Amino acid sequence: MSKLKTSHIVETLVWLTIVAVFYVYSFEFGQEIEIYKFGATGWPRFILGFLLLVTLGNLLHLYKKGSEAQHGRVGITDQDEEISYDGIGSIQKILAILALPLIFAWSLKPVGFYSATPVFIALTILLLGEKRIKWVLGITLFIYFLLILLFMVILNAPLPQGNISPFYDFSAFMLTLNTKLHQSLNF
Amino acid sequence: MLFGAIPGVSMLTLAAILLPFTANLEPAQGVMLFAVIYCTGTYGGAITAILFNIPGAPENAPTAFDGYPMTCKGQSGKAVGAAVLCSAIGGVSSAIIMMAATEPLANWAISNIGPPEIFALVFFGLAVASSVGGRTMWKGWMSVLLGLLIATIGQDPVGGINRYNFGFSDLAAGIAFVPAIMGFFAVSEIFVQAEKKATGMYKAPKLSLDFPTFLELWSYKIAVLRSMLVGFFCGILPGIGATLAAFMGYGEAVRWSKNKESFGKGNLEGVISSETANNAATGAAMIPLLALGLPGGAMTALMVGVFQMHDLEPGPMVFYNSPELIWIVFAAMFYANLSILFIGLIETKTILYLLKIPFQFLAPMILLLASIGSYIGRGLVLDVIIMFGAGIMGFLLRRSGYSIPGIVLGIILGKIGEQNFAQGMQMVHYDVLEYLSRPICLILIIAGTLTILTGVYKALSYSLKS
Repeated sequence: MSKLKTSHIVETLVWLTIVAVFYVYSFEFGQEIEIYKFGATGWPRFILGFLLLVTLGNLLHLYKKGSEAQHGRVGITDQDEEISYDGIGSIQKILAILALPLIFAWSLKPVGFYSATPVFIALTILLLGEKRIKWVLGITLFIYFLLILLFMVILNAPLPQGNISPFYDFSAFMLTLNTKLHQSLNF
Repeated sequence: MLFGAIPGVSMLTLAAILLPFTANLEPAQGVMLFAVIYCTGTYGGAITAILFNIPGAPENAPTAFDGYPMTCKGQSGKAVGAAVLCSAIGGVSSAIIMMAATEPLANWAISNIGPPEIFALVFFGLAVASSVGGRTMWKGWMSVLLGLLIATIGQDPVGGINRYNFGFSDLAAGIAFVPAIMGFFAVSEIFVQAEKKATGMYKAPKLSLDFPTFLELWSYKIAVLRSMLVGFFCGILPGIGATLAAFMGYGEAVRWSKNKESFGKGNLEGVISSETANNAATGAAMIPLLALGLPGGAMTALMVGVFQMHDLEPGPMVFYNSPELIWIVFAAMFYANLSILFIGLIETKTILYLLKIPFQFLAPMILLLASIGSYIGRGLVLDVIIMFGAGIMGFLLRRSGYSIPGIVLGIILGKIGEQNFAQGMQMVHYDVLEYLSRPICLILIIAGTLTILTGVYKALSYSLKS
């Protein structure tokens, strides 16, 4: 009897879509290379062919055994399977946790590291369940200044400065402070 | 060591930041600095792998297979203690062999190892990687193949033709290793733990300061010796480095064990095997670097950068033009590996207290360190976005039972495999029989094929069994 669930069909369709998209896109760079018989497409198309075969093998396993782990596999953790969502609240929370870093990364270019970071730290701590506001503020400031000390003051690492007016000005202010500090300490 | 042990950043981050500063140092100091970072960072990454399931570098990924389950069982001290000792043993022995036999080994490598052998080892390594980590053999292979597919993004290694850049000019150089590795390892682990926190299933890892006894470690002497040999062999081969060594060391430990099913559930031998092998490879990786000028991984590639900054070109001539530099590298690696033992044992107890930091405070720190580490390499915000994208992808794949170390190994070995396959095919004029007439190549291809066929047989018979 089939143990196939909707999630298994979606999973297989995602893999087949990846194979199809990458295969179709490989015609974009299908020109010959004089010194190499297989060209630029040979290697990726071989991988795609192999991927198609193992995706079908995986579908067979899902059909017969569902999500069951193969007996005798090494290095797998059973705990990943046990998670279950008890309400819409926890789903919203995990979606927010997944989205927040992407928003932070996207904001680095316009806003810059120096302005975006404290907001990101505070929101992450809140989303992870910390409710004591004093702790949220305290830890935010602690992590922020620790990173500034390590990467700006000690290592002089170039970090994104932003390109929108108030944020860019703040980054410039921080870097000026750093230069003055280095001059005063004769680094 | 500290950078390796801070979750979210790695020795590569530190090396990338320090590279420009080495221009102001004496050549010997610059080379020595990077040799020490390489040895100690390889060990440091094991600590985060064991305590947080976040390998500090890809070479520590197999350490997490058994190290993290040991932490969950309250045996973190035992796992970290074994990692300290075995990293030091692997590293020191590798440095000693290197001092004694660099020239003959380099000569052997030059005359016997070519692109066909390197491709054959990559093939065998990928076959081994597919057999660990995924919930089924199919998922193990799908993970490895996804990594190989990601590695095809960017210019092809033969003709320099742009592949799969999907209209983004920044992707012409391919997906950088560091953001991909940080995303798949560190960010996805944070998401996994955050999900547990959101669903009320989070359990803080247990702190333990029980170190392994001497007798306990002595019982693994064969595993240590085997991993040393595996690590040294992988390290000698150009382009392979410590990552594959760790996977092969772990794979061989499983293959020879009478209790295979205990691996992945907190078997100390898993930690010992991968940590001995990856540190044994660090010394050996200097042989192709110094003798042929070929780096064995990202870190050794940065070391080439240090040489070039001082108008030195690693290669056969470096033995005649700057023999003192060679001995400085050897000495630096020897003392760095000894220091792992002494400083490592002292600092381990302090580092174990990282487990006491509540997850909600540790998580933003790790995410930010990973962001900085990803950004610094090329100065591209796109790399930070790729890292978080890889994190989300890794989180979803882990939930469905795919192997994250398999994906990462695929990304790392993809370009090396393709390049050496192409060069090998050109060398033998596309004659497969000539390819297989090379003994090392034949042995590795047969071993890889047998691993695949056994895996397929087991997977099919399990799937079809009612």
